[in-house]
Amino acid sequence: MNNIFQIIQFTIREALARKVFIFFGAIILFVLVGTLLVFGLVDINTLTSAANQSGQNIMTREIVSSLELLIVTPLANLGLLLAIFSSASFIPIMLEKGNIDLLLSKPISRAQLLLGKYFGVVLFVFLNIFFFVFGVWLIISIKFSYWDASFLTLAFVITFAFAVLYALIMLFGVITKNSILGMMIAYLIFLIISPLLLLYKEKLNEFVTSELIDTILVGFYFIVPQTAELMGRIMIDLAMGKGIINFQPIITSLLFLIFILGFSVSLFRRKDF
Amino acid sequence: MIAIETNSLSKVYTSSFGKNKVRALNELNLTINKGTIFGLLGPNGAGKTTLVKLLLQIIFPTFGTAKLMGEDIGNYELKKRIGYLPEDHKYPPYLTGGEVLKFFGRLSGLNGTTLDKRIDELLELVNLSKWKKTKVKSYSKGMTQRLGLAQSLINDPELIFLDEPTDGVDPIGRKEIRDILLELKGRSKTIFLNSHLLSEVELITDRVGILNKGKLLREGTVKELTERKEEYKLILNDELPELNKFADDNLIITKNHDGSYSVKVDDIRTMNILVDKLRGENILIKEIVLQKNTLEEMFISLINREEKGGKE
Ligand SMILES: Nc1ncnc2c1ncn2[C@@H]1O[C@H](COP(=O)(O)OP(=O)(O)O)[C@@H](O)[C@H]1O
Ligand SMILES: [Mg+2]
Repeated sequence: MNNIFQIIQFTIREALARKVFIFFGAIILFVLVGTLLVFGLVDINTLTSAANQSGQNIMTREIVSSLELLIVTPLANLGLLLAIFSSASFIPIMLEKGNIDLLLSKPISRAQLLLGKYFGVVLFVFLNIFFFVFGVWLIISIKFSYWDASFLTLAFVITFAFAVLYALIMLFGVITKNSILGMMIAYLIFLIISPLLLLYKEKLNEFVTSELIDTILVGFYFIVPQTAELMGRIMIDLAMGKGIINFQPIITSLLFLIFILGFSVSLFRRKDF
Repeated sequence: MIAIETNSLSKVYTSSFGKNKVRALNELNLTINKGTIFGLLGPNGAGKTTLVKLLLQIIFPTFGTAKLMGEDIGNYELKKRIGYLPEDHKYPPYLTGGEVLKFFGRLSGLNGTTLDKRIDELLELVNLSKWKKTKVKSYSKGMTQRLGLAQSLINDPELIFLDEPTDGVDPIGRKEIRDILLELKGRSKTIFLNSHLLSEVELITDRVGILNKGKLLREGTVKELTERKEEYKLILNDELPELNKFADDNLIITKNHDGSYSVKVDDIRTMNILVDKLRGENILIKEIVLQKNTLEEMFISLINREEKGGKE
C-alpha cells in the first residue's frame, strides 16, 4: 500500500511539473472568473421572473441546475478530451528505457507500479475536475442563495468516464509503449462508438430488420463503456437531483474498466523491458 | 555464503514477428560469493546487461533459474537488499538531486529523518552535496552517473549491480568511483560490475568473468586469468632444426607464422640458458622481445579465438 501511495504522490508531482496541466488549470480559472463576471452582472429576480413569465412555473432549483449544466456539460466534454490528451503519455514515459529499469529494481511489484501510476493520474484529473465543478457550483449557489450539493456528484461521474477511457490508454501504452494508439481508441469510443451505439439502441433499432445485426449491435452496447451516457443523461439526471435512474451504463463501464485494468496488469507483469 | 547463483540461465530475444532471434545469454552457470567484487567483461552486445536485467526481473529468462542471496529472484521484496545502477538511467528532470534520492528511498521503504540523513551522507559520498537543491536537468553526464551511484546505495544494499558505472565519467571521477567501491567492499558488500573497459575492472575486482556472445568464456581471479609464463618473441637468423631439442619442463618454444619463435619460460634465467644453448650451436640471434601480458591481451586473444571458431 505504501508503494502505491508513493507512486500516486510521485505521479501528481509529475503532473504538476507538466506545463499542460498549468494550461488546464488556467482554462478552469478563466471559465470560473468568466462565470463570476456574468453572474455578477445578471440580476436573479429578472431571470426568475423572465422564466416564470414564459408560462411555466419554473422553480429555482431547475434554473440553478440548468445554468450549472449549461456551463459544465460542454466544458466537461471538452475537458475530458483535453485530459486524455495531456495524460496519455504518462504510461509510455514511465516505460521508457532508463526510467522503468530503475523503478523495477526497487522493492515494488509490477502491479503496484502500474496501478499506482493509473490511480495517480486519475486522482489528479479528479482534483482538476472537482475544482472546476465546485467552482461553478459555488458561484451559482451563492448568487441564487440556493444550496444543493447533488451537483457536485458530477465530478465523480466525469472522473469515472475519464478513468474508463484512461484504462484503455494504459492497456495500449503497456502493449505498444506509446500513447498514440490508446489515445485514438479512447477518442473513437468517446466521440463515435459510444454515442452511435446509444443512438442505435434508443432510436435507430426499429430500422434494422436483421435480428442478427440487431443482436450484435445491442451486444456491443452492453460491452463498450457507455461514456456518451455517462457524460450525457446520467450527468443531467444527477444535476437535476433525480439521482441515477438507470445503473446499467455505470455497471457496463465499471466491468469494462475492471477487465481492462486486470488485463493491463497481467500483460505488464510478464513484459520484458 | 553465495550472493549470486545462476543455473543454465538463458535469454533469447525474439523480434515482434518472431523472425529474428538473438541468443543474448546462453546457458550461463555462475556462482559469486558474498563480499566479493565481481567484474563481468565483454565487448558490446556480449549479454552483460541482459544478465543483470534477468537477475533483477526486468526481463524474464527463456529458461534457467537464478537465486540471489539464496532466495528465488521472483520475490520483489528481495530488492530491498539490492542496489542497481542501470546502464541508461533517467531521472525526472523537474526533480532536484535530493528529491530523486528521496523518491527512490521511499520506494525502498525508508522515510523520515533516517532517509534525510542517508541522503545527505550519500550526496557527500558522491560529491554532490552542493548540488542537492539543483534540478537534475542541469546535471552533467558525470554528475548524473554519480547521482545514479548514490541512488543505487540508498537502501544500504548487500548486493549492488553496476552496469558500466564509469561511462561518461572523467578520469578523476573514475578514481572516486573505484574508491567508493573499495570502501563498500570493506563493508563486506557484494558488487557486480559490468564493463567493456578492462582497465577499470582489473584494478578493483577480485574475480572476473569474460562473456562473449552470451557465453561465459572464462571465470576466475584476475591473477588466474592473466598468469602464464613470461613470453618472449625470438627472431633468429636461421631456422631452428629441431624445436624439441631446446624445450624442457620449464620452457616451451613454438614457431610463429612469420618465422619468429615464441618462448614461454618461468623466469629470465631459463631464457638465458636457452640463449647460451643457441649460441653454443652458433645460431645468430637477431632480436629478443618481452611480450606484454595483460588481462587486455588475454581478453582480446580469447575473443579473437572465439570469433575464428565461430566462422569455421
Ligand atoms: N530488447 C532486446 N530485443 C532484442 N535484442 C536485444 C534486446 N536487448 C538486447 N538485445 C541483444 O542482445 C545482445 C546482448 O545485449 P546486451 O545484454 O545489451 O549486451 P551488453 O550489455 O554486453 O553490451 C545484443 O546482441 C543485443 O543486440
Ligand atoms: Mg550493456
